[in-house]
Amino acid sequence: MLLHGAFRGFAGGARDVTLDAATLGEALDALVQAHPSLSERLWDERGKLRPHLALFVNEEDARLLGWQDAPLKEGDIVHVIPALSGG
Amino acid sequence: MAKKVTLLVGTKKGLFILRGDGERKKWDLEGPQWSPMPLHHAAYDSRDGSMYAAVNASWGGPRIEYSRDMGKTWTVSQNPSFPEGSDRTFRQTWHIEPGHVSQPNVLWAGIEPAALFRSEDRGVTWTLNKALDDHPSRAKWTPGFGGLGLHSIAIDAKDPNKMNIGVSAGGAYKTTDGGKTWEQDNATNQSERPDVFTCIHKLLAHPEEPGLRFMRVHEEVYWRDPGETTWRFITPGLPTNFGFSAAIHPRDRSTAYVIPLDGMRRTASPFGIGVYRTRDKGKTWDKLEKGLPQGAPMETLREGMHNDRLDPMGLYFGTANGDVWASRDEGESWTRIAQYLPYITSVHAATIE
Repeated sequence: MLLHGAFRGFAGGARDVTLDAATLGEALDALVQAHPSLSERLWDERGKLRPHLALFVNEEDARLLGWQDAPLKEGDIVHVIPALSGG
Repeated sequence: MAKKVTLLVGTKKGLFILRGDGERKKWDLEGPQWSPMPLHHAAYDSRDGSMYAAVNASWGGPRIEYSRDMGKTWTVSQNPSFPEGSDRTFRQTWHIEPGHVSQPNVLWAGIEPAALFRSEDRGVTWTLNKALDDHPSRAKWTPGFGGLGLHSIAIDAKDPNKMNIGVSAGGAYKTTDGGKTWEQDNATNQSERPDVFTCIHKLLAHPEEPGLRFMRVHEEVYWRDPGETTWRFITPGLPTNFGFSAAIHPRDRSTAYVIPLDGMRRTASPFGIGVYRTRDKGKTWDKLEKGLPQGAPMETLREGMHNDRLDPMGLYFGTANGDVWASRDEGESWTRIAQYLPYITSVHAATIE
């Protein structure tokens, strides 16, 4: 997983984490195991992923792949990105 | 060592810090920190020199951050979150208040949705005040124009068990046992019912005089002397009933300040920006505007004005158009010490040894 922008700061400056996971949801759980400070930055206290969070599997928007159910295979790169919105 | 003043200026796009020289004439601007994320408040804790910031970010969600090195580096607190079973989630922080001097590790935070949190470890972790949260009257709270926030935390000068809090729009509450129990505290000299509330905009405790309170409500201003149990209506003499910003003189027991705004426009129009001072507990008000742009329709918010602890007292306010104005003579005259900042939400004056 590659952490971008503010999410690197929330993880103490970590840039990337290599982990085993079959789905994006599992990957996020494993990411928080490695960096517990990310938990409240990714989810609210009801377990809902926060807005303005973009997750990409390789070059695909994870929302189009099933979001937290998106399947992962060996070598996939998950990008955790602070999303921009508005206009 | 001479005391200096540092201003923590919260804006809709990050935190700015203005560090003043010993004479409060020269100000160095730093920041922004966390831009483009909005802050509702930032506070300095004179007990240990910590700083706290209400970072109401969308990236990574809302959070409180603290600094132990005067704003050079910041650390994220554990969120003030609602316990399991609640249908609410922490949305943003409105106010952070250092606890009483006799409780050096205690801080308080008011958040949205309106709730009070306490920290017993200098802001590292936060716990919901269940007594207020379980108060039956909470069902009657309704969001104001800015949301449903708990934004005023007024701790008594002498007794840390005596506190008032203010909610928009849920009225004022008091505790005399450190937050174990709460009572509605809205009775005035015009309406004796403590349960009938309006939208509190700012409720302040005098830092030296036990029992002395000053309260800026949506359409009223009130004074409470030590020993009184109701709020005394002191609004006549102001150009409008409406406004947000309020300050109380840190030594004088009869002096307080407000910045009136037009209730519809939400700016100081058409009467112009001015700081109104009472020196007689609200019997009369004087407009202080020397140095301010005459007639300017500026706007200040509930955390927009604050005072330092020097003598003569310095008073400061920030505006929606990004100005910071300072007075070194208790409001008599004003100088602009920063401009072109983003929309200013809060100004906090830290008096530093």
